[in-house]
Amino acid sequence: MTAPTLTTARPRPAAGRVGTATLVVATPLLFAALAASVVVAVTIGPADLTAGEVWRAIGSHLGLATSDLTAIRDGIVWELRLPRVLTAAAVGAGLAVSGAVMQALTRNPLADPYLLGLSSGASLGAVLVLLTGLSVSLTGAAFTGAMIAMVGTLLLARSLGVITPSRTVLAGLAISSFFGALTSLVVFWNTQGDSYRQILNWLLGSLAGADWGTVQVACLTLLLVGLPVILFGRVLDAFAFGDTAAAALGVNVSRTRWLLLGGTALLTGAMVSVSGSIGFVGLVLPNAVRLVVGSRHRLLLPYSALVGAIFMIWVDTGARTLFEPRELPVGIITVLVGAPVFVAVLLKNRERA
Amino acid sequence: MNPIRTARPRLLAALTVATLALPLAACGAEADDDTTTETAAGYPVTVDNCGTEVTFTAPPERVVTIKSTSTELMLALGLADRIVGTAFADGPVPEPWAEEAADLEVISDQAPSHEVVLEHEPDLVFAGWESNLAADTAGERDTLAKLGVNSYVSPAACMEPEYQPEKMTFPVLFDQFREAGRILGVPDAAEELIAEQEAALAEVGKAADGTTALWWSSGEDTPFVGGTIGAPQMVLDAVGLDNVVTEDATWTSLGWEAILDADPDVLVLVDATWNSAEDKIESLESNPATRELSAVKAERYLVIPFPAGEAGVRSVSAAADLADQLDDLGLLQRQ
Amino acid sequence: MTLQVHAITADVGGSRILDEVTFAAPAGRVTALVGPNGAGKSTLLRVLAGTQKAQGEVHFGGVDLLALPRRERARTLALVEQDVRSEFALTVRQAVELGRTPHQSTWSWGAERDDTAVDAAMERAGAAEFAARQLGTLSGGERQRVQLARALAQEPRLLLLDEPTNHLDVRAQLHTLTLLRELAATGLTVVAALHDLNLAAEFCDHVVVLARGRIEACGETTATLSAELIGSTYGVAADVLTHPRSGRPLIAFSR
Repeated sequence: MTAPTLTTARPRPAAGRVGTATLVVATPLLFAALAASVVVAVTIGPADLTAGEVWRAIGSHLGLATSDLTAIRDGIVWELRLPRVLTAAAVGAGLAVSGAVMQALTRNPLADPYLLGLSSGASLGAVLVLLTGLSVSLTGAAFTGAMIAMVGTLLLARSLGVITPSRTVLAGLAISSFFGALTSLVVFWNTQGDSYRQILNWLLGSLAGADWGTVQVACLTLLLVGLPVILFGRVLDAFAFGDTAAAALGVNVSRTRWLLLGGTALLTGAMVSVSGSIGFVGLVLPNAVRLVVGSRHRLLLPYSALVGAIFMIWVDTGARTLFEPRELPVGIITVLVGAPVFVAVLLKNRERA
Repeated sequence: MNPIRTARPRLLAALTVATLALPLAACGAEADDDTTTETAAGYPVTVDNCGTEVTFTAPPERVVTIKSTSTELMLALGLADRIVGTAFADGPVPEPWAEEAADLEVISDQAPSHEVVLEHEPDLVFAGWESNLAADTAGERDTLAKLGVNSYVSPAACMEPEYQPEKMTFPVLFDQFREAGRILGVPDAAEELIAEQEAALAEVGKAADGTTALWWSSGEDTPFVGGTIGAPQMVLDAVGLDNVVTEDATWTSLGWEAILDADPDVLVLVDATWNSAEDKIESLESNPATRELSAVKAERYLVIPFPAGEAGVRSVSAAADLADQLDDLGLLQRQ
Repeated sequence: MTLQVHAITADVGGSRILDEVTFAAPAGRVTALVGPNGAGKSTLLRVLAGTQKAQGEVHFGGVDLLALPRRERARTLALVEQDVRSEFALTVRQAVELGRTPHQSTWSWGAERDDTAVDAAMERAGAAEFAARQLGTLSGGERQRVQLARALAQEPRLLLLDEPTNHLDVRAQLHTLTLLRELAATGLTVVAALHDLNLAAEFCDHVVVLARGRIEACGETTATLSAELIGSTYGVAADVLTHPRSGRPLIAFSR
């Protein structure tokens, strides 16, 4: 297997719009940016705490330092801010990756992770618990709702024949509408007093309820499901020219599709159950990353995860401090930021449309 | 769910002035046919209610009340026999009026529909929130007016900022009772009620100086709390509690971090069927951050039922109740 | 290696698309697969590529292609479909790199071997000159070359093409078929579905005629493509002449 003598002036391989060399430098930089974001975001908040006090408090829990904060102020750092920042990072990463995978599976850059009815199913579960006071964990109910909706979507798509991307999208639309209507019904029927505010927070997506439990759920899912999806996702590149081409390239099309779909559903379901239906992250971020990094999923997926995590940390920090002492649901800010970015993406792709 | 209600054009103002200029006998053209009482003194009465001009040419005899504050005000004014239906109660009617309330017809548990309200042929719909008078609930105000049905919203719940009092206080509340007495034709009963309430208010004890409090209405992740210019503040002032919330709003939503930072001495927990005080206590005590609050550690909770949290005839007794609870906690000033 | 197709029968959506199709395609030659629309040419190619289920046997170099595991099959043969487009922005080089998929394990990173194969494939197919361009900016002929390069990057021994000249201008058509002949000369077995009989006659030494899912005839081009055969297969009146310069059959149609 001797390589033929290549001409010296071989064109430099372009990976998207950035060369490989740029990527080699960019990757560790992004990781560093993520770490820095966590460390800095944790020091920001309405309570009057200096950065040093915050880091010492965290350090004291890790056995690395001593802190003289009162229990309550220590609680602000260790029980409120830190879990919230970590959950935000995990949720941002999870939603961005799910979005990228869904876009690849449906071959549609306008797909988002909620296509399979996941968010409307989760909303129904959450609203039922919030309004009827069932003594079930909110996260559990939301996740169950998400899974039921997803199964409904897949069954509906299957009943139309062989499952194809467009059938899945249509079925997802139908199921989302249905569950959305049920949710509205429950809300309309049951809302008393000011209970609607809690529901609104959930429906818009909020990280205000983050604690160490949500950190566990989000991070474990990211690790156990998200990471394999990211690594396995390079296979998605083979789908660039359609199913037949992918099959001809030796890819087990249906098994790949099911595995990735299942992984994405689990990932999205877990994130939604923890933070409500935060919009735009899964739709806009992969497109924005794609503009810079290109369409190869070997790069797109991990980069989407990193950028998604950093984005979410900062958007959530904004949600809890921009209007202090008030708090906004983070889903409002993601749309406020996401919509203009989305328009920019559409304009950019106008030539290609 | 209080959508902003649009203010009516001033056409009615012109009509009202014209009507007032005519001799009383000439304005007997009522849409409904209830003429059992002769035109009472003091009528016609015109009020600017949340931006809508409403004219009463006679005391309303058939009233539909929506929400507890309206129902309870009418009961307090001794007008149980004029109520043809109640709807959307926030909780059971409390003691002095509970027996009478039992006989009242309940039209609906939630906001009633237009038709259902009209079915009872009211001449007045007395609503607790502006959103009760919308197309998909009891009916829009001008639609009702065309059918000869007056509508009246508790002024404390007006949506437009120019109709909201700068700050809700008991004198403002009592003035609202006065206005209600005028339009219902029972100004004396209103004055009696006000005198009673003022006396009771004067008896209410005060918390020790500098005791801070948070009024937590609902919302577990992002608490919905009483601000500085609404009914919660009014009650807190009556018992001498300082609100840790500094925002100029009737109610507002706050992050837990801000609450932890303020560390109120006392927590006023609103007890509602959809979010009970017990639930709130449980979540406070199980959350590793909030259980460090001094009020939680010392179990300094004051409970107030939801209907008593809105400005109305229960506000004074709510204040008295809070004072009693403060006393139990040993936080009341010795008089 | 000769491609031996034996009694391939395929049902799609309840109808029998291919019925006991049997033929052989020799190595080192371009075999044309011709027939009217709906004859089953695309389906046959998909059966060979393994993306369509069928009964029967296909032997190639001593292996039963239909029984091969996916990845190994993708290393043995490559399919070039009609004008496929991608929704996503890829550069030419990235598109060609996809051809290395069957040679890469899921978890591995790019290898030197891959780069070499990709470079060679692009050179061979004439796509090297626009390696850095975006797919969406290419002309029909250029896209064709990219697809061909991708197929060659798979390092196949059997090359299948579905109507590779459909959307190309004359020059590009001739260029493509010349290229196929050159590839065949290096030892590849090439089977191309063509709708243009004259292109088939001029460039392909071997022809397989398919109609209504059945083999009408197969064999060496000059001997097989007769006016009667064309008449009965396509239902048109044709005359088979001899091209004045190349000596190949020239099929003429008249009103």
